[in-house]
Amino acid sequence: MPARNSAATLSVAASGGGLRLRWPLRRSFIRRTGDAQAESGLKRAHFREWRLPFWLLAPQLFILLLFFFIPSIRALIQAFQLTDPFGATTQWVGFQNFARLFRSSVYWSSVQVTLIFTLAQNVLTLSVALVLAFASNHILRGRGAYRTVLLLPYAIAPAIAGIMLAFLFNPRVGPVAHMLQGLGFDWDPNRNSSHALALIVMAASWKHICYNYIFLIAALLSVPHSILESAYLDGAGPIQRFLRISLPMIAPTLFFLIVINFVYGLFETFAIVDATTRGGPAGATSILVYKVYQDGFVTLDLGSSAAQSVVLMALALFLTFAQFRFIERRVNYSV
Amino acid sequence: MRPFYSALAGAGAVLLAGLASAQAATEIEFWHAMSGALGERVDELVKKFNDSQKDYVVKAVAKGTYDEVLNGTIAAYRAKRQPEIVQSNERSFLTMVNSGAILPTSELMAQQGHPIDVSKFIAPVVSYYAIDGKLQAMPFNSSTPILFYNRDHFKAAGFDKPGATWQELEPQLDAIKAKGVSKCAMVLPGDYEWSFLENYSAVNDIPYATKRNGMDGLDTNFVFNKGKLVGQVERMKRLVSSGVMQLAGQGIIPIQLFTSGECSTIIASTASHAAVVAAAKFDWSAVELPYEQGVSPRNSVIGGAALWTLKGHTPEKYKAIAAFYDFLAKTDTQVWWHQATGYVPVTTAAYDAAKAQGYYQKNPTREIAVLQLMRGTPSDNSLGFRIGNSNQINVAIMEEVSAAFLDKKPVQQALDDAVSRGDEALRRYEQLNAGKK
Repeated sequence: MPARNSAATLSVAASGGGLRLRWPLRRSFIRRTGDAQAESGLKRAHFREWRLPFWLLAPQLFILLLFFFIPSIRALIQAFQLTDPFGATTQWVGFQNFARLFRSSVYWSSVQVTLIFTLAQNVLTLSVALVLAFASNHILRGRGAYRTVLLLPYAIAPAIAGIMLAFLFNPRVGPVAHMLQGLGFDWDPNRNSSHALALIVMAASWKHICYNYIFLIAALLSVPHSILESAYLDGAGPIQRFLRISLPMIAPTLFFLIVINFVYGLFETFAIVDATTRGGPAGATSILVYKVYQDGFVTLDLGSSAAQSVVLMALALFLTFAQFRFIERRVNYSV
Repeated sequence: MRPFYSALAGAGAVLLAGLASAQAATEIEFWHAMSGALGERVDELVKKFNDSQKDYVVKAVAKGTYDEVLNGTIAAYRAKRQPEIVQSNERSFLTMVNSGAILPTSELMAQQGHPIDVSKFIAPVVSYYAIDGKLQAMPFNSSTPILFYNRDHFKAAGFDKPGATWQELEPQLDAIKAKGVSKCAMVLPGDYEWSFLENYSAVNDIPYATKRNGMDGLDTNFVFNKGKLVGQVERMKRLVSSGVMQLAGQGIIPIQLFTSGECSTIIASTASHAAVVAAAKFDWSAVELPYEQGVSPRNSVIGGAALWTLKGHTPEKYKAIAAFYDFLAKTDTQVWWHQATGYVPVTTAAYDAAKAQGYYQKNPTREIAVLQLMRGTPSDNSLGFRIGNSNQINVAIMEEVSAAFLDKKPVQQALDDAVSRGDEALRRYEQLNAGKK
């Protein structure tokens, strides 16, 4: 659980850019507190006294405390303990849980699976979303209908998406699996690790393409028409215009989506894996966040699970840091 | 105003009286993991008890799978809101015993004046759930694996019934596939470490772990990477890779592939009778578990679950729990439960009663599990398993064995890895529970 919570905070942090107060709103706040100088510098404190900002922040801080800080601290403590599930016996064991984790070949293979999964999921999601955004941007008739249809999967719960795909691709009863087998492809995710991995990549991407699509279509719409028109007059075709003009101009959105997709793949795909493959066969789809759940809640190995979530937490912190440090700084958001 | 107040007072009095009468019966909560038809049987059972007397009310709450019930119980216990009774599977025995959260059943029943005579229970149940002759939990739903088969398929392939030994059965399965009778001669059950490995070792009388499979202490080690068990996993791998044995995979329950008529056989818990009776539209039957040629087969071991009494409740609640357990152990209740669910009767009296009714003449497959459990005197290898951290070990074993099925590693190496992962978890359990049983 702590890992999920940290993921939630992370995604809030990652989308922080979007949560900032918009300019007119900011202005009204400043007026109300009566700070005339504040308009000059954005980073200066705008409130003269502490009470109002405190109460404004309190609900969010309380939620953070309850769902992030307390669980994180407990996970941190538990990572250094060996404990009975009921809490009857607890021993401090220092770094034993971590040592065991890093010694375990199962853990390293889970790291490997996670890497392949997140990368594949990222590439697939982004490229399909890009193609769809490009295509639907060029359709004039029924554009709205296409967009609505493309956005629908986002409304489907991950568990349902997972079960649906597991069923469609089930080698014994699934219609898609039968089609694949009819084409002479020996599809069997129960006996073939790469098929199982492909299945969860598909399930996770399918669910997340729409999210990428919204951002991409918005970015494409904001590409100035004047530039596109002048390129058109110079004889550039639609694909050339897309690759040479639109793509570079939406690069900031692409970077943002890459980070978001990593965060999604690393921390938010638990339900999909649980519903589609349950980490099997033979641990072939046991990604890190699923392993935290399985070791903690199925096999009751609390120490190891806590140690794993601490590792994931560190990874989440690193990603947040990386996003703010490298991407936010270098990418120009004002397209 | 005055009539209003008096009306209010009257309403209050009625309310209080209502509360008082509701509180007259002691209510206890019972968390269980029975879903579908079995869940309905639990509700019926509880209703029978509630209707049989006025002092106690048992409230049955389905809390999901065994893992989910256990997790829920742990969370509730840590928050000091535990129910009175939880159903937990046989695998969790040591976790429950050493949790510090439970009141041993023998102790409870002695305190409440319903002393339990363990000799009334069938041997594999006692050896699993009792320490030094004292029951730690109340045996509830006990099962054991048997071999269900599609008689139509066997006839079509020219066989009367499955052979008693693996040496006879294997060629039959191959033939069913080769003759095109069925594309799936057998389906691998989801709990195969129980039916294909643990029970295999019990029936064929070979050790699974040292110290009588952990019965004699926590300093036990796994030894299933030697001898016949390696051969068994090799056999399973051969059946899987030749397509004779199919894996159901995510999204379908293996028994469904048998009841739909797609797969010809399945080794599954005798409690699958409920599902088979309800869904199979063909001529089916069942036989005892296959064993190795030349072996005189021992009893199989139980699966299923038992009821655990949690600490921290008032004396009246314990009185209610004892009354409920007493009701469960009654021969009538046992016979009904056995016939309604497919689980085995846990007392010999209940078995004799069902037999006297002529029940097994009409339903011969219902007796297989009982006979198989009571076959001979349990040997050191067929008493049961007392393994700490068994959930972890279970997952590790399944992962390694399926790695062998997937050709990720040779069978011997997979079993060696399973043993070393299992031993590591055993050592950790020993470290944490030093000095306990």
